[in-house]
Amino acid sequence: MREAWVVGAASNRFGKMAESAREAATRVSLEAIRSAGLEPKDIGHTFVANCFGIAEHQAHVGPLINNGLGIPGVPSVTLESACSSSSAALHEAFVHVAGGFTDAALVVGAERLSHLDTLAATSYFAIAADYAFETKNGATFPGLYATLASAYRAAYRTTPEMFGAIAIKNHANGARNPHAHFQKELTMATYLASPIIASPLRLYDCCPFSDGAAAIVVAAKEFMRSPTSEPLVIRASARAGAVTDMHDRPDLLGLPSSRAAAEAAFRQARLTPSEIDFLEVHDCFTIAEALALEDLGFFPRGTAARESAEGTTARDGRIPVNPSGGLKAKGHPVSATGASQVVEIFEQMNGLARGREVPKAETALAHNVGATGGSCSVHIFTRR
Amino acid sequence: MSTPPSAPHSIGEFVRGYEEEGRLRGFRCPSCGLVTATWGLACSRCGRAGLEEAELAKTGRVVAFTVLTVPGDEFLNDAPYAYAVVELDGGGRITGWIPGVGSESELSIGERVQFRPSYKPGVQFERVTSP
Repeated sequence: MREAWVVGAASNRFGKMAESAREAATRVSLEAIRSAGLEPKDIGHTFVANCFGIAEHQAHVGPLINNGLGIPGVPSVTLESACSSSSAALHEAFVHVAGGFTDAALVVGAERLSHLDTLAATSYFAIAADYAFETKNGATFPGLYATLASAYRAAYRTTPEMFGAIAIKNHANGARNPHAHFQKELTMATYLASPIIASPLRLYDCCPFSDGAAAIVVAAKEFMRSPTSEPLVIRASARAGAVTDMHDRPDLLGLPSSRAAAEAAFRQARLTPSEIDFLEVHDCFTIAEALALEDLGFFPRGTAARESAEGTTARDGRIPVNPSGGLKAKGHPVSATGASQVVEIFEQMNGLARGREVPKAETALAHNVGATGGSCSVHIFTRR
Repeated sequence: MSTPPSAPHSIGEFVRGYEEEGRLRGFRCPSCGLVTATWGLACSRCGRAGLEEAELAKTGRVVAFTVLTVPGDEFLNDAPYAYAVVELDGGGRITGWIPGVGSESELSIGERVQFRPSYKPGVQFERVTSP
């Protein structure tokens, strides 16, 4: 196995896109390829994530992106792993490059749902749960994470303010990220006054529906050409699965796939949580950030929400979490989210995250969950 | 020779059980004893293929729940309602919705509920009022 590097990265501004996912994907792909000092003809494989392409009446978007890049002969495939689709695509790119099957691979995730109303978008999201045994019984996506939040609150006697602190911190970071959907600060008063969506989750516990596109280029060390940026070395690329229906899991105080993927990633990288400088984690809801930090081994069980309220995870805290603003403020264009976490790490490590820099950016971890944890990816990156 | 996977139920039969027969169907694993209300061909805990059919109890207690004010399209006219993970008496967990719960103070973790055959697809529970 040879080293695989992230040599280029690009994202558009998340929020509402006037253009289709196909157009946005093609645009950020070209930008990512150029940021690597490469040209489209250098790409050997394209891995696409576009979960809800069907909402735009478009499947099989990989060849269309490659056509738009002027490389129609390059093989492409679209991967679906719900909200972790583009980190799953990154894993495939890693396997292809590290295994010697290709020298440079394009990973691109894009989603457009803003042309749908809230009801339709909520319903699209809910089909990534178990449609027969969860959705048909009344679940929505916020409803499932709210159920986890109710179990967490009962076990650890948390307060709404602890979860509010997570949302406020992520909004403070998003306010400094030009790619973010929400570039404004949030106050505790606004958080507490926001309506309940699925108790105990309030509106401001939930990430928004966003459109967006993000792309990264993974290449073999030997293939690097006049880079315009410092590459990230992929120290670990791990994926895990778990019992999909949360009612069939004995423990509701975490996501088993997060734990399994993290253990595998730390083993691959020969690193421990104490050696990670900052994290991008999957905070589709504030409860998800708390669970992630505990599942990944950064805080003991039941303490992450409390620690967040004390500032431990702020940009200048002991372990900065989601300096991009996370899904909460940067937005969650489902299939672009995993790739956009890597864009943030790339920008932080290249000194491009102006105004939201973390104090130390040598080693970082990205954590991306599919739905309620039926799938999960953990990647660890270091500077060269 | 490998054991052929048995498929005594289809998902459609589970759903007919909820809607037409007033039954909660499930499986029991002959190896590890896991009881599940979720369809499959092999045990999600130990991997054993060849699950036994099980009739699940219609009563249980709430393990965790939420009260939804923003529903999906199939529950548009039902909000607010509770969505709960329920531990059934005799084993097995299932999820279901509980109509008429308007806020979380109206239900508690640990509260007893019973299955109620419903006019619409899915599993519906109601609170068991204490005698």
